[in-house]
Amino acid sequence: MDRQEIENLIARVALKDRAAFDLLYDRTCAKLFGVCLRVLNKRAAAEDAMQDTFVKIWNNADRYHSNGLSPMTWLITIARNTSIDRLRARKKGHQDIDTPGLELVSPGPNPEEFAVASSEASRLSGCLDTLEEDRGKAIRGAYLDGETYADLADRFGVPLNTMRTWLRRGLIALRECMSQ
Amino acid sequence: MTDIQDTPPDDDLMAAELVLGLASADDQAAARRRMATDAGFAERMVFWQERFAAMTGAIAPVKPSAKLKKKMLARVFPKPRVSVLQRVWLWQGVSIAALLFAGYLGVQLLQINTGPVTQPTVLAAQLVGETSGLQILAVVEPVKHEIALRRVSGQVAPNRAFELWAILPGQAPVSLGVLPEQETVRLLVPEALRSQAAQITLAISDEPLGGSPTGAPTGDVLAVGEMTEL
Repeated sequence: MDRQEIENLIARVALKDRAAFDLLYDRTCAKLFGVCLRVLNKRAAAEDAMQDTFVKIWNNADRYHSNGLSPMTWLITIARNTSIDRLRARKKGHQDIDTPGLELVSPGPNPEEFAVASSEASRLSGCLDTLEEDRGKAIRGAYLDGETYADLADRFGVPLNTMRTWLRRGLIALRECMSQ
Repeated sequence: MTDIQDTPPDDDLMAAELVLGLASADDQAAARRRMATDAGFAERMVFWQERFAAMTGAIAPVKPSAKLKKKMLARVFPKPRVSVLQRVWLWQGVSIAALLFAGYLGVQLLQINTGPVTQPTVLAAQLVGETSGLQILAVVEPVKHEIALRRVSGQVAPNRAFELWAILPGQAPVSLGVLPEQETVRLLVPEALRSQAAQITLAISDEPLGGSPTGAPTGDVLAVGEMTEL
């Protein structure tokens, strides 16, 4: 997917261009549906999440321009957050992470600096692998399975505070690895 | 794992936790406020969002069904509710009840005009108010020169009355009378207005019981509609 093309389409959707919205869907739906399916694991639920995702894209495209995210990251973040909200809604103590604004952040100073290159994925993956195995799993579990600290503490059989400190250290190590 | 303590995270870790969805609801609300004003913090959010989104790099694309796109588009661009009626009537927002009522009148007109007389034009108006919720359908019966009115929605305020006015272009409103409480009523079109019935705009104003004391509308205009040929 061409970054410039997706960026142009989002800009046109921001101006309520329906043809551009149609095309943006065609270009990105397979990737975003893959993400929704990965998180929700059920086709019907993933289809509902896709509908919500594109309603949000239509309604918020005008806020994309200045948020500093690469276009695919913006779209993927909306699909991921929407899916995880659905996943958590099934559980008790549901907490909405997709509060409007989290993926629609205000301008950073230098958007280009943060563009995800295709090599970024393998780099991150490599860094996650250098972490102690459990920490890498915990970070993946939080991002891709919407696991909370309580869920993670349960899964790894440690107290909540321990889990928190443990994951934060994982994040620090990850940051160091990625800035090398 | 040694030296385990729950040390508070720095801004960067807080941003990472927010992106992962691990922060508490309170922290999230605070973070949203902060992102709007603190460019440095917003930048940390962007940093982590970009990095974590890379975790989806290994996820294979899956083509959704064509039906999903249709459903999604129908949700984003809902069809106007009255589109079919609009096409039939070229007349906005007419309700089913109004249609039935007009149809009923049409049958009556046909029974009246049994001879080889040219079919008279039937005029109708739909009076609607943007804020009042009042909706009234008016059909002019061309043989008896009557206006048949049906209130589709909206209620008169206590101790107030609806008064119907006919307005010709460039002229002062002429009262056609105070509407009774029931939903349907027939009023006579004044002789002076009959030849120009097609140019009439009908309006309902809010008046004291018994109607306007001055002969001109004194209260708010609650609904307005222009005559249309059916």
